[in-house]
Amino acid sequence: MSYFTYVAMAYAVFVIVLAWDFIVPRLQVRKLLRDARNRAVRAKRAAAVPVEEELSR
Amino acid sequence: MFKALVGWFHKLGSPPYFDTFAARWSPWFYLASLPLFAFGLWQALAVVPADYQQGDSFRILYIHVPAAWMSLFVFGLMALYGAIALVWRIKVCEILAMACAPIGAAFTVITLLTGSIWGKPMWGTWWDWDPRLTTELILLFLYLGVIGLYGAIDDRRAAARAACLLAIVGVVLLPVIRYSVVWWNSLHQGQTIRIFGESSMDGSMVLPLWLMVVATKFWFAGSLLSRARADNLRREAGKAWLRERAEKSA
Repeated sequence: MSYFTYVAMAYAVFVIVLAWDFIVPRLQVRKLLRDARNRAVRAKRAAAVPVEEELSR
Repeated sequence: MFKALVGWFHKLGSPPYFDTFAARWSPWFYLASLPLFAFGLWQALAVVPADYQQGDSFRILYIHVPAAWMSLFVFGLMALYGAIALVWRIKVCEILAMACAPIGAAFTVITLLTGSIWGKPMWGTWWDWDPRLTTELILLFLYLGVIGLYGAIDDRRAAARAACLLAIVGVVLLPVIRYSVVWWNSLHQGQTIRIFGESSMDGSMVLPLWLMVVATKFWFAGSLLSRARADNLRREAGKAWLRERAEKSA
């Protein structure tokens, strides 16, 4: 009797779960670095605004 | 030599240094696992002869057994990191312990699903409330408990400490899983592969198994560093070193 379907199913599970395990932390790191970059750009932009242009009463 | 090792260990506790270390070494561990996986899978699927009783279905064990061993090993390691983090309050150990949980859960899922897929043609059922299967399922719930507890508390350090405590308590389950086939009447087969002593599995069938065992260890190291790096970056968001590093990489 051939058990090809069962063997294929088991190896598919193995590949899918390991692929998930590989991809998820990479996406997280990429997002966190992008957030840090955006935060740095915002901070730089805020620091570049001249003081005289600030609104005053 | 010892002094240098201690110095390096202290340096590893610094978040910027750990980020550099994890970013540098994680891809190398993944890369090291690939040829081992490739060779092991080729041997397991194409070279090793079919079992005289189980036919080709026994090839599932080349992923089932390494994943099952990893599910236990990772939990033990998580508890060890957890104990170090609780006793010495080392932040990087908290991060490493918490990074272990999703990887261990992934290996437990592989173990349960591949075991179930093997069980259908061999035992005639997808699932049985057998001691080995049930204790492995409890292990998955423990992993999910650690992940859930870590995510449920806003203060990252308090969350990690609570989850580390759960991991340490959960270690009690590991010998129960290991000896479940000895202590109770079990549908699951007993020990066939031994690190020390002779395995009851034929020598020609053992080599791919060891290759897969080593490959999963390298994979785990790569994944651990990758996940720990992500958690470290999350905790350090807004810190000056991370802003500088992000600016440089832009």
